[in-house]
Amino acid sequence: MKTIESMGNAVLSSLEQTGRTLLLLLIVVYRIVQPPYQFYAIVRQIYFIGARSLSVIIISGVTIGMVLGLQFYNTLERFGSVDILGSAVALSVLRELGPVMTALMVVGRAGSAICAELGIMRISEQVDALECMAINPDKYLVAPKVIAGLISVPLLTCIFSVVAIFGGYFVGVVLFGVSEGSYINGMIDAVVWSDVRLGLVKSFIFGLLVTLICCAKGFYIHLSKSGSLGAEGVSYVTTDAVVISSIAVLFSDFLIGAIL
Amino acid sequence: MLVLSGEIDLNDSPVLRETILASLEDGKPLLIDMQEVSYIDSSGIASLVEGFQKAKKIDLHYGLLSISSPAMQVLTITRLDKIFTLYDTEDSFIDLLEP
Amino acid sequence: MESSPAIAVRDLVVEYGSRRILKSINLDIPLGQISVIMGGSGAGKSTLLRTMLGLKKPTSGEIRVLGTNICSAGARQLEEMRKQMGVAFQGGALFTSMTVGENIQLPLRQHTRLDENTIQIMTRIKLDMVNMMPHEHLMPSELSGGMTKRAALARAIIMDPKLLFFDEPSAGLDPITSAELDELIIKLKESMNMTIVVVTHELESVFKIADRIAILGEGELLMVGTPEEIKASEDPRIVGLLNRTPRQVAVDVDDHLRRLAGKAVEPGIPDEAASPDEPGVPGESASAKTADGESANGKSGNKGAAEGQ
Repeated sequence: MKTIESMGNAVLSSLEQTGRTLLLLLIVVYRIVQPPYQFYAIVRQIYFIGARSLSVIIISGVTIGMVLGLQFYNTLERFGSVDILGSAVALSVLRELGPVMTALMVVGRAGSAICAELGIMRISEQVDALECMAINPDKYLVAPKVIAGLISVPLLTCIFSVVAIFGGYFVGVVLFGVSEGSYINGMIDAVVWSDVRLGLVKSFIFGLLVTLICCAKGFYIHLSKSGSLGAEGVSYVTTDAVVISSIAVLFSDFLIGAIL
Repeated sequence: MLVLSGEIDLNDSPVLRETILASLEDGKPLLIDMQEVSYIDSSGIASLVEGFQKAKKIDLHYGLLSISSPAMQVLTITRLDKIFTLYDTEDSFIDLLEP
Repeated sequence: MESSPAIAVRDLVVEYGSRRILKSINLDIPLGQISVIMGGSGAGKSTLLRTMLGLKKPTSGEIRVLGTNICSAGARQLEEMRKQMGVAFQGGALFTSMTVGENIQLPLRQHTRLDENTIQIMTRIKLDMVNMMPHEHLMPSELSGGMTKRAALARAIIMDPKLLFFDEPSAGLDPITSAELDELIIKLKESMNMTIVVVTHELESVFKIADRIAILGEGELLMVGTPEEIKASEDPRIVGLLNRTPRQVAVDVDDHLRRLAGKAVEPGIPDEAASPDEPGVPGESASAKTADGESANGKSGNKGAAEGQ
């Protein structure tokens, strides 16, 4: 009986949290268009979420590209079709791996930090202080982060994709001797606008999901069970945020791919 | 000379600031009559201070005249009563100007 | 009351879940005076403060702050009202990513279009008022307890609010700094005509600064009055609070032993309540452990009892 009860509680609490997160999105959209506009805060968050993730993205991009080059070469060689290596790498990166890997890297790098920051601010009364100063915390704290995510993640994804394709090039052409022409031309032939569009759409949605979920988890820590646990509570919601946003990325990856 | 009266709060102080600074630009010494001031907040005081700083920089005489008691209270608690040069009568200021 | 009060609390009931923290409070905070809200721990002071600030919605009742009913006010109204209020929180609640100066300036930057110079001068004026001028560029993590409180106060008064709330100003401060803070509070009332609400249980400060005192006890208002009236009160709870008498707890010997030991102590009585994991008084009765007859009662200690099962 108890197990069913706790399962039921878990489901209810997840629903409640999801609802709250969506509500937060609506609140953010409503608030950010009202003055005073938070340009400076948005730029600062773009730096924090975007610019500082650059090195991670480039390194992982090159690596993934190289791995793809390696693995695809291996497989394609058996069928004697190594000249489509370029298209294979490009298509995988643009459609799938670019958006997904970028989003996951951002979750680890910036998402956890966002969640922890907001959680700590909440439990140390800093959010209350803002409210009492007639500064709306949704507008001042949360909205810049969400908008910055919406801008940074697609840009990072583009960088990732480019770098990954180069990685594949390096492995395929330089290391394994695939002809440069076939790599590049294969890529140009195979990739169409809908592939790029798919990647872009995914990256926008992932950017939104990741920042929204991480913000909501930290911002609403006082409404969850961890609210009274202090430092431990913050680490709890942060790990939760990372897990949930990663799963959300993977799941929506499938959904978007199926729809588009 | 500049005469202030009534209440000076966040909305009024930018105007006050502009007036003080413009007047100093003209190179004239400035005496600010504060007798009728019923309320002045820290933004108003800040404008007075900025004027004082500027006047010092370009070596002009700058003073406050007949501070009303509400204004004086604010100056005391902000510890600025020792900073400004305060005058009781217009004449004492004018006397200073003639070398 | 001569003029209408700064804050009027009527039949306020506040609950957290099923726990009723404030039970129908009626209180007036007069304009232009220093009111102190006192009470023992758990009496509901923080809850009352939070409700007055609009951070907690009451279960029933109303609070009118400067004429506006905060329980039913729209967001815009609430915002306007909050611009006339300043709050210094118990832990300071300074924003840790900004310097002290930037913390203090934040309301100005968000709500006004004042010139940069004006903002800087205003910041320094307030810093000077709390004796923190040399520390303008420090980060909150570099501040001592007293400095944090003073910085929080400076931030609370930057917009020259009509209403100032101060949560536990003296908590954790040395007597000198505490006294200086008291002086400052009194000066603020006198020179800027601020209505100040202080929540504290620091007795010395209370009688030094208060014009009116409200004493809360277990969610109820025990008494409201001038310091003299409070001192003259004969209510035992208030007298106890003022004289710092520790609460007397009646002790029933058996009861107490039972609670300490976890079960009945009399020998020969089977401990039905005992589970294998529960550390208990090593029972002298052989009948205590029944499961497999392996009784570890010969050994003292709870480990034995657990393993015996």
